[in-house]
Amino acid sequence: MTDPLLDIRDLKVHFRIGKNWPFGSGVKTLKAVDGIDLAIDMGEVVSLVGESGCGKSTVGRALTRLEDATDGEVRFKGKNVLDLDRNGFRPLRADIQMIFQDPFASLNPRLTIEQTLAEPLRIHGLAHSAREAREKIAKVLQQVGLDPSVMTRHPHAFSGGQRQRIGIARVMILSPKLVIADEPVSALDVSIQAQVLNLIRDLQRETGVAMLFISHDLGVVRHISDRIAVMYLGRIVETGPKSEIFANPTHPYTRLLLRSIPRPVPNAQRKRLGATGEPASATNPPPGCAFHPRCPLATEVCRTKTPPRIDLGQGHIAACHHTDQREAAPAA
Amino acid sequence: MTAALATFNQVFRGRRLALLGVGWLIIVAIAVVFAPWLTPYDPLEIDPVARLTAPNAEHWFGTDHFGRDTLARCIYGARMALLIGLGAVVVSLVGGTLIGMLSAYFTRLGHVLMRVVDVAMAFPALLLALVLMTILDRSVTNTIFVIGIVYTTTTARILFGMTLKLKNEVFVDAAVVTGAGHPSVLFKHILPNLISPLLVQATFIFAFAQLQAAALDFLGLGLPPEIPSWGNMLAESRVYVTRASWLLMFPGALIILTVFSMNLVGDALRDAIDPRFKDDIAGV
Repeated sequence: MTDPLLDIRDLKVHFRIGKNWPFGSGVKTLKAVDGIDLAIDMGEVVSLVGESGCGKSTVGRALTRLEDATDGEVRFKGKNVLDLDRNGFRPLRADIQMIFQDPFASLNPRLTIEQTLAEPLRIHGLAHSAREAREKIAKVLQQVGLDPSVMTRHPHAFSGGQRQRIGIARVMILSPKLVIADEPVSALDVSIQAQVLNLIRDLQRETGVAMLFISHDLGVVRHISDRIAVMYLGRIVETGPKSEIFANPTHPYTRLLLRSIPRPVPNAQRKRLGATGEPASATNPPPGCAFHPRCPLATEVCRTKTPPRIDLGQGHIAACHHTDQREAAPAA
Repeated sequence: MTAALATFNQVFRGRRLALLGVGWLIIVAIAVVFAPWLTPYDPLEIDPVARLTAPNAEHWFGTDHFGRDTLARCIYGARMALLIGLGAVVVSLVGGTLIGMLSAYFTRLGHVLMRVVDVAMAFPALLLALVLMTILDRSVTNTIFVIGIVYTTTTARILFGMTLKLKNEVFVDAAVVTGAGHPSVLFKHILPNLISPLLVQATFIFAFAQLQAAALDFLGLGLPPEIPSWGNMLAESRVYVTRASWLLMFPGALIILTVFSMNLVGDALRDAIDPRFKDDIAGV
């Protein structure tokens, strides 16, 4: 078996928040990401799913070094990139690219599209003349479904969907090996979400780039991923091939997420969700299994012991004490 | 050119007072450029016979205690006013931008630099200028630098806050992810987004520099006394104020008009560029 393209081992990202006396009530540690393991093979699309605040975006930001990891290893092509300093990491940036969530904030309003797209080429020395750069920019704009003539304009002239296409162009122009897509469609109108999603999927298939697709929406993830990892409060609670996760969800939290996908069935009776309440605070996570305050299966052991990772075969792993049980109300 | 006209129209439409301000500043600019051709008198030429003449057909603004023509001195004084205003703007914008931007971007450096700025800001502007001028000689360059340094602190504060906000923008993250280094992020992504507030800040610094310069001149710590400036004229006229009030009126009115005009233009610019700063930036 070959090494995976990206291998995350026990990654932790902790933030110190608050202020000490006399300016505040004390420093707390927010464990945004608290020891996750995840591997992505060449050309594979892995989705990281979870609700707001579970740390999924922080994983993406740690992989691109926008956030400093507290502990753990991130092996990219066998090399631990967390050991590299800013300058040492720079050549790798061409290989690890990121699509941002908010297309209105991710483009510098003062730069033309051409200037925005020329920057990565200049930094990584991928164009030897202004003409070559312009040709590459025109080509990548066509790839993302925009007319090359738009390159002289500023971002304010574009709609959200078009801006996201420009954001994707900025990523694809570097021919990366790994793309981290941080909720790339959740800020868009529903009517154009599908278009942009299809564009991302088509580009992924054409180029064979590996992708970490971060989303809170399993419905969106279904179209694009090979494998799914479900995250809750800084930990991965279940991971497996897409078909397994959808057909045979094992962790109660995964089942909760699956049931919250809206269904296009009129008058369908809404089944009561098996879990209620808000996620626990990441500054003060509950002992044992972090999900136990919301879990319908929770027993005494869940309140005290961190659940082991149980291998269910076919790469399907769930971190739960009760992998052999289902809630009383079966998954709808 | 048409683009510039369109911008001008956008900024000043419906702001008649600000347009009057622009008009006055244009008059001052013309006076500055064509000073030698606008007046038949040399501003330094002494005429003892005609000393302290009231305004008349020959000397429109009257003469001072050496018989020097007040109009000529006022027009040449405009040169000094503009020079000091622009000089102070350049010094404080360059200094303030560098200090504010770097302090916000490099947090540790900021902890040190901004404390120094805070200390400097604790002094009233005029007091700080006075202290610095007592140490230095009276000269045009020193006056420009001292006034520039005084307003560097406020510029640094404003730019510090704006850079703090900008450096957390997603497009800055995006630039970092593509591999942009610190200089590229600072000067290509952050600085261009600071141009509009800097422009507004420039107009206010220009206006306040006039007041500061006049105050320094009046107290005898600004420009050397032989240079005709509005502040020096005020200082010399104070002895004769009961006998020759025109000596005080004309330069005083010029200072007021110029400062007021610049403030009006600054207000209009600020409102046009970003309504969010309406109550914000004027705290110079």
